[in-house]
Amino acid sequence: MEIPYNSTQRPDTGLYNAKVGIWLFLASEVMLFGALFSAYVLLRVGASPGTWSMGLMNIPVGTFNTVILILSSVTVVMAWASLKLGDFKAYKKYQIATILCAAAFVLVKWSYEWPAKFTHYDVTFKDATAAKDYFVAAYGDNHSKQVTKIAKDRYNDPELQITQVPLSGHIVGYKVKGDTHVHDVGKVMNIWNGAWFWRINWQDTNMVALNCPKDITAVILHADGADDDHAKPQHAKTASLSTDAHSGAGSKHHGVEIPVSRIKRLSSLEPAHSPFFAIYFTLTGLHALHVLGGIVVLSYNLLPIGTRLWLKDPDRFANRIETTGLFWHFVDLVWIFLFPILYLL
Amino acid sequence: MSDHHASPEYYHGLIKKFKAVGYTLIIATLVTVGIDYFVEKYEVSFPKALAFAMLVAVIKASCVIAVFMHLWWDIKWKTISITMACTFFFFAAMMYLTITSVNDVPGLDNSYRKLPGQAEHSALADK
Repeated sequence: MEIPYNSTQRPDTGLYNAKVGIWLFLASEVMLFGALFSAYVLLRVGASPGTWSMGLMNIPVGTFNTVILILSSVTVVMAWASLKLGDFKAYKKYQIATILCAAAFVLVKWSYEWPAKFTHYDVTFKDATAAKDYFVAAYGDNHSKQVTKIAKDRYNDPELQITQVPLSGHIVGYKVKGDTHVHDVGKVMNIWNGAWFWRINWQDTNMVALNCPKDITAVILHADGADDDHAKPQHAKTASLSTDAHSGAGSKHHGVEIPVSRIKRLSSLEPAHSPFFAIYFTLTGLHALHVLGGIVVLSYNLLPIGTRLWLKDPDRFANRIETTGLFWHFVDLVWIFLFPILYLL
Repeated sequence: MSDHHASPEYYHGLIKKFKAVGYTLIIATLVTVGIDYFVEKYEVSFPKALAFAMLVAVIKASCVIAVFMHLWWDIKWKTISITMACTFFFFAAMMYLTITSVNDVPGLDNSYRKLPGQAEHSALADK
């Protein structure tokens, strides 16, 4: 028995079956992302000072990804138009271009944007004295400008207290109890081997959580944009600080040695870092899952198992590409709103 | 799109529209990013920046929905228009309820900024 209206329109609705289905599905998707967008609004309005840390977003990378998704939207609709013109070769060309764009989008997220956040650390201090000490250690005479810059650029709030402004950078080493040697972190601080779980709990600063060595006494942080040569004299003035992450000669990394006892909180820019990163990873993660799902369907429609329908029923195959395209445009649509709210505003 | 067996000229015309929308979307994206730098440089207020960014996003979304998703041609069909209307209504209601209720929740206002003596403890003062 043949199911009616698979490739032709039903007279009363004017639509074929799959089109009704995809529009109903997209309506449910609007509700899903709508709930998360409303959660974003609530979290943003309710964020405590110094927690809405969106100033670290990489705008050029976000722009690149936006343009990539727009291009993929054009190619997917061109693939459909090519089928309508009976040009299967052009369809394949555009479909491959769409998949490449989608893969590039996910690749940028997976290999660059997310790992960069999981390996980037924020340290906030127990008191203003400690905060000032370590900002001076990292930035020398420029520490005052740096605090203002972070408060303004990253949090858009120049009134933040110095204890609310984090010293940011990469952990390049650590010290453990009973050992004065600085352990090189090197490639260990990589998202994919689990070291990104380093976190110092802000309720109990002596507790070093998860994958951190349990008896850690200090971390060596290479602060963002710190001029090592400039900062060295300042380190020398502060007895409790060490300039180098590595004690040996010829070390490549310089950093500020921060005893765990002075730290209020240490965390990478992971979801647990702040409400901003929680909603950032939720929204971009869910969106990336949709992109991955799209890649699977787009690929199926390019492989022989999918394209054989073109030989059997070209109209139905074109309809299938149209419905796939509708889903893909929705993915683009979501990103059109995600980009400004997560990267720009 | 309902024209299942339209002429090749019809689809060639559509392709031109698709390309035009694609260029528009890319230009609008670059404009949004450019305005963001402008906003930072000239310290434009957050509500104004938000309004502009959302306006551009809505224009871009409308282009995608109308042309790429063929709604310009398909909206005449009740199944789609009613589905879209219901979706829009529920989405708008959800955002309206969220936005209008943020001040009802304790702690979800920024009144800490108005505390007396706040300026003395600012980052600038501590430095």
